Amino acid sequence: MRRVRSYKGNVHILVVEDEQKMAKALQEGLEADDYSVRVAHTGEEGFYLIQAQPFDLVILDVMLPGHDGFEILATLRKRGIQTPVLLLTSRDTIEDRVRGLDTGADDYLVKPFAFPELLARTRVLLRRGKPDSSQRLKLADLEMDVAQRSVVRGGQQIELTVREFELLEYLFANEGRVVSREMLARNIWKETARQTPLDNVIDAQIVRLRRKLDGQFERKLLHTVRGVGFVLREEDES
Amino acid sequence: MRLRPRHLRTRLTLWYVSVLAALLILAWSGTCALLFRQLRSQLDHFAVQEIETVEGLFFFTPARQLRLREDYHNHPESKDVIERFLEVRSPDGSVLFRNERLGNRALGGMPLAGEGLGGYSERSARLSDGTRVRLVSRVHSLDGRSLLIRLAHSEEPLFSRLKDLLLASLLVLPLVLVAAGVAGYGLARRALNPIEQMARRAQDITPEKLHERLPNDDTDDELGQLARVFNGTLGRLERAFEQLRRFTSDASHELRTPLAMIRSVGEVGLQKDGTRAEYRDIVGSMLEEVNRLTSLIDSLLTISRADSGHIQLHRTVMPVMALAREAAGLFEILMEEKSQRLVLEGDEHAKVEGDSLFLRQALVNILHNAVKYSPVGEAITMRVRNGDANQVTVEIQDNGPGIPVEDQGRIFDRFYRVDKARWRESGGAGLGLSIAKWAVEAHGGHIGLDSTPNGGCTFRVSLPAAVTPQHVSSKDA
Repeated sequence: MRRVRSYKGNVHILVVEDEQKMAKALQEGLEADDYSVRVAHTGEEGFYLIQAQPFDLVILDVMLPGHDGFEILATLRKRGIQTPVLLLTSRDTIEDRVRGLDTGADDYLVKPFAFPELLARTRVLLRRGKPDSSQRLKLADLEMDVAQRSVVRGGQQIELTVREFELLEYLFANEGRVVSREMLARNIWKETARQTPLDNVIDAQIVRLRRKLDGQFERKLLHTVRGVGFVLREEDES
Repeated sequence: MRLRPRHLRTRLTLWYVSVLAALLILAWSGTCALLFRQLRSQLDHFAVQEIETVEGLFFFTPARQLRLREDYHNHPESKDVIERFLEVRSPDGSVLFRNERLGNRALGGMPLAGEGLGGYSERSARLSDGTRVRLVSRVHSLDGRSLLIRLAHSEEPLFSRLKDLLLASLLVLPLVLVAAGVAGYGLARRALNPIEQMARRAQDITPEKLHERLPNDDTDDELGQLARVFNGTLGRLERAFEQLRRFTSDASHELRTPLAMIRSVGEVGLQKDGTRAEYRDIVGSMLEEVNRLTSLIDSLLTISRADSGHIQLHRTVMPVMALAREAAGLFEILMEEKSQRLVLEGDEHAKVEGDSLFLRQALVNILHNAVKYSPVGEAITMRVRNGDANQVTVEIQDNGPGIPVEDQGRIFDRFYRVDKARWRESGGAGLGLSIAKWAVEAHGGHIGLDSTPNGGCTFRVSLPAAVTPQHVSSKDA
């Protein structure tokens, strides 16, 4: 059963993206996560929409026909519009990144990105990315006490290594949502270079964690979403 | 618009001819001047002798008229052979005597101060009719009276001879210069001919024909040197082009493989109705290939940026052991799964200055290779040594199957895999080691390989040791 997150319906996101397919995918993906989404296919249209109605977040593609994302962003900031902006670009150079952040972008994502990654960044920018302040996390019969560093399932204590503990904590923070290997590499392994061969390492680590969490239980909690990543939730969606 | 001949050989010839003309004119006029001076001094000498003679021949008539005795000639007609002009003046300037040849033309005008006193004074002068003469004067005392004797010869024959000479040279010089020009042009052409050949050949060398070379590279002269330098450049270009061509074709092959899978899986998946679970599986399988493509493109971007020199290294001083430990930590779990052991030993004080991100990447890639190819239960050794010659060496030794000798030379090449059939299970596109090699060499280091035929192989990374271990440079973003 999915948790009801209807409050998100009030969160308005503007997607400025000229590629029709990409725009559609972004819209559907964000709407599936209960955001209300408007799409602009040109920079000018996006600019007009932002001035016409307030948005909570703008997802702005850099490569736009006519005025590109940098220009739109610069104009917005010049007019004092401080809506958080997440830049999307297909060029991963330090100069581009610096330029984007200097122009006033709040975050920066390089295409192709994993969709869970976009959702995670979106949540951070909307300041809803933080886990519950309670240090006791619970899912079905799995309980995690971050302060005590203890994990209990079905009344049984589970011994985890430091890395396994961090991994589970991160999965709990994103409970119900898929996390990609890339997100794990960056947030748990602190690996910034994208081409570091970590996939095998992450897979092996997940296998171990799963063995400890789900091994002897009927009800599986840690699932692999093929081609995307992993998710901690009560029931398999399929 | 400047008049500048297009051909080097024309310019050379013009230069050569101009210089030759200047030199010839200089030499010729020098010769003429010398000759003229010599003839004139002969004339002076002659005049002095004649003054000596005529001095004794002057006498005053009883009417106080000055006369020249001319009765010493053996034959009366001999008088006419004598070409001298003769004039005598008193110190106050009044003319006392002029010979027949001079007539009533004045020779030298009023006496100059000190003229003819204490010896002979020579000078050039003109008669009143314009005849150029060479004049010698001497003061002589006769019967208590002071006489200024002036004796002159015409300089006209001298000038006419000079004129003849100049005229002759005016005729000859152009002929000489033309001859020299023709010869010089021929020589220049011959000397520059190889350059023309080289230029023609070089023009024909296109990217498709980079294997061609310039001629004349077997001589020891400047042109041979030029040809050799050019050929060396061509060689490097050819190798770079070849590398690029191979890289491009390899890259497109590597990109095509996952694309083909995405396509086939998608097409086959659409052909039949499946359950939701089956569709999820199909999409997941396609996404796996997409991830493979993504990481491949990331690696390609790194390589292309490295190639174009666009990567800036943010250097800091760091202990190599920490770097090795970090790299080893990444693969701990994989090694545990394969019951492999990592032995990490070495000098904790060994430090290098470099970009920790790229150096770690190099170690990670090599170690990843070792973990992948080492069999279950074997040990992998990482050894850090502060070697001699200010080098820090990291050895990564595994007990895998080793690398066949024929592959060792190419193991760091891009996309090169020893086991071409099995790479997809072990992952990676064969770029890891080439990126490691780039990272090490970008730090002025060296990467090498020892592999014994009975198995096991040792990668050896040498890096320049940090010069000042205390100094930590700022890590700018």
